[in-house]
Amino acid sequence: MNIIEVATSQSHLIEIAPVQKSDFKNLPANRYFFDWNEEAAFKIFKLTIKGKDDILGLISFERIPDEMRIHVRLLTASVENVGAAKIYDRIIGNLLTYVAKLAVRDFGEWACISLRPKTQIAKHYIDKYKMNITGVTLSLEVPEIFELIELYDHDN
Amino acid sequence: MNFMTMTTKKTTLLDTVEYGVDARYNSQEEKQNDAQLLMQARRDRMARTSEQDIMRAKLMQLKLQIDEYLNSAESDVQHQFTSFLNTYINTIYEKQQQFAQDLDITPVSLSQILNNHREPKEEFFKKLMIHSERIFKAIKGFHKQSWYQVYYRDKINETMAHQDEWREELEKKIKFPAFS
Repeated sequence: MNIIEVATSQSHLIEIAPVQKSDFKNLPANRYFFDWNEEAAFKIFKLTIKGKDDILGLISFERIPDEMRIHVRLLTASVENVGAAKIYDRIIGNLLTYVAKLAVRDFGEWACISLRPKTQIAKHYIDKYKMNITGVTLSLEVPEIFELIELYDHDN
Repeated sequence: MNFMTMTTKKTTLLDTVEYGVDARYNSQEEKQNDAQLLMQARRDRMARTSEQDIMRAKLMQLKLQIDEYLNSAESDVQHQFTSFLNTYINTIYEKQQQFAQDLDITPVSLSQILNNHREPKEEFFKKLMIHSERIFKAIKGFHKQSWYQVYYRDKINETMAHQDEWREELEKKIKFPAFS
């Protein structure tokens, strides 16, 4: 999996790994937009460029095996990677793909990732990631989940 | 705290999108209501999902489970090769016998392999690699040699798990150079 450096179009291989206890002191809300300490009870994963420590994006989620889905709780890129002047592109897509793969691994044809945006961004997620909408919940299932994985799960 | 309240500059829609999502439920009731609605909608969508997509999902699931096994540090898991092979056959065929026919092996020898009563031969692995290469064509990132890797990973796990059964006897037979 990779992200693209916007200025040079250069591709960088990434790693997505669980946030460690020692990471929490390096996750200020003014860079990562949320108080990630509040999420300590849930699974939190970080995105970094392979071989580097700087965290460029974060996702927290809850596995709900009874419903065969994974619910995304918080999702963000770091402050320098948002908007027109961002340094790297594809951070959010890679984080969603990572969770989508976990859902397929665990739930097969019933794989589902869901999220519940509170703002006007739902349309963007529907358009960009082909998410389905049910009430206020956005979700991605088979077959649309394949497209996300195809788009992001490669190294070049 | 919501990210919208933390930013002082005026945010554009694109900025907001990339700042990400706070999708946490506000209450258990909200979570349950959403869950019911979503499950109903998913059942309806599943009823419209093609057999081809369902099989693709199952094969992708198998591929991801194989990857996880090969990348994990767990050493107390055994017989994953036959477990994955069982899943592979049951995903594609209604009867194991059909798979045996397609691989040009006897149903008895396949059954013995699947029940861990017989070691698969070199030729079996080669046939399995050729077969799965075609079947997994639509699943990016599947490596046909994974079957071999899983099999030998099993062997390593099994050997290490039973050290107390073989180590003492073998140690008596081994000589070491004086400097060691």
